[in-house]
Amino acid sequence: MSKTPDVSSAAVNLSEGLGIGYGSLLAEVTEDIPLENGTHYLLARNGRGKTTLLKTLAGLLKKVGGQYETIGRCQFVGDDLSFDRELTPKRIFSALVPSARRTDALDMADSLELDVRKHFGKLSFGNRKKVGLIVAEFRLRDDEPNIIFYDEPFTGLDTPGREAVRSRWIDTEEDVLRIVSCHPDFDALEMPKALLITDGKIFRGGDGARTWADFKDLLN
Amino acid sequence: MDLFRLTLSTLIARKMWIVVFLSALLLPMVLPYFVPYETNVKLLEPARAQTAWTVTWLLGIMWTLSQAARFGDSNSRTGIGAYFRSQGCGPLKQIFGMWSAIMLFLLPVVAVAVLICLLFAMPSDAKEASMWVATNLQFAVLFLLTIGPLALLGVGLASRFGSLVGYVVPTALCLYGLYGVGYVGMTIKLRDNPLLEWVYALSPQYHLADLTPRLIFKMGNLPSADFLSYVAYFAAVTLVIGSFATLLFRTDPLRH
Repeated sequence: MSKTPDVSSAAVNLSEGLGIGYGSLLAEVTEDIPLENGTHYLLARNGRGKTTLLKTLAGLLKKVGGQYETIGRCQFVGDDLSFDRELTPKRIFSALVPSARRTDALDMADSLELDVRKHFGKLSFGNRKKVGLIVAEFRLRDDEPNIIFYDEPFTGLDTPGREAVRSRWIDTEEDVLRIVSCHPDFDALEMPKALLITDGKIFRGGDGARTWADFKDLLN
Repeated sequence: MDLFRLTLSTLIARKMWIVVFLSALLLPMVLPYFVPYETNVKLLEPARAQTAWTVTWLLGIMWTLSQAARFGDSNSRTGIGAYFRSQGCGPLKQIFGMWSAIMLFLLPVVAVAVLICLLFAMPSDAKEASMWVATNLQFAVLFLLTIGPLALLGVGLASRFGSLVGYVVPTALCLYGLYGVGYVGMTIKLRDNPLLEWVYALSPQYHLADLTPRLIFKMGNLPSADFLSYVAYFAAVTLVIGSFATLLFRTDPLRH
């Protein structure tokens, strides 16, 4: 008898002792961290291992040691994700977003004030970021759990753009597990669920209505 | 499949394919009139066939191989390769996804060359005509067996070493196999040199895929046994080059 998979329950489980780095150890998980659907911010200063952790969890880099588990279909949206300069966002969506979701993708582009007829090469840095973000958001699968790893998605986005993205994430947080790495530029940004990397240690920053400013003092 | 679609969309958006198809279509019809054809009008038809296939070689080398290098390079450099790999689309699927889209654009170019030869250069004699059809079809197969693996190599090399290396190496290999290897062969005939003999034996004999002289001088198609051995030879070359290409292929750049 086949069981119907619970498509909404994505999970990322980081075990104590999971080590990340490029060959040598950059940071290590200090406690078991189970993550479920919702948006989890990953906070650290430059060079502490945010991208390395995301790439490791997405299966793009080998772990240095320890264990982790991901349950769901992963998407890693790197901060360098870009498309051919001759392509328009509309063409990109046509190629990558399933047809049933294309209208929603175009609606989100509209709400983000992204000109979908402009060539990718002529878009501003922030608008280029929006293209990758929309692609990832509308390539979610209905038939399996979804995990998205965002590497600094807010860099280059203005406040209205950021708010529109966060609003989408709040609306869909029951369906998707997102891990979002962030830079210390957004003091007022609410971060109820956060992972921190500092002094070579990866740990949970505590749940609750915290902001980036609250976590800042913890980071070295 | 998604990367295949994205590559197709990119090729369409770049619009260079319009120039390519117009060149494939018009140059064989126009260029033969630029020589004093009035002296012997009968030479127009073989000249058309020669131009059609020469243009096809040029487009294969200049366009297909350059696109292959460009896609291989950008896939690893722009984060697209990493994005697809995180979703379970491995290196093999990625390299063949891009390669098949590139080759899909080369197929009509080859078809145009064959059609020009069949419609505008067909010999009137029935026996010659039948051999003419066979020669062109053999040429199409051998041409694709030459450019296809080189395009795959271009994608693989460019993903690791950048678009310049990804274009120059397959192009140099192609030109060497078409022309350079003949000089090595002649040198061996003139004087014994074990090293050169090894070089010759290991060189890709792409000149075997160029059936233009057979068309110009109406030498007829390759006998079936020869053609099959050529196909087997190029299949083996494809296996070697394809293995190199897939081993070299990276979904993300070497630098971190």
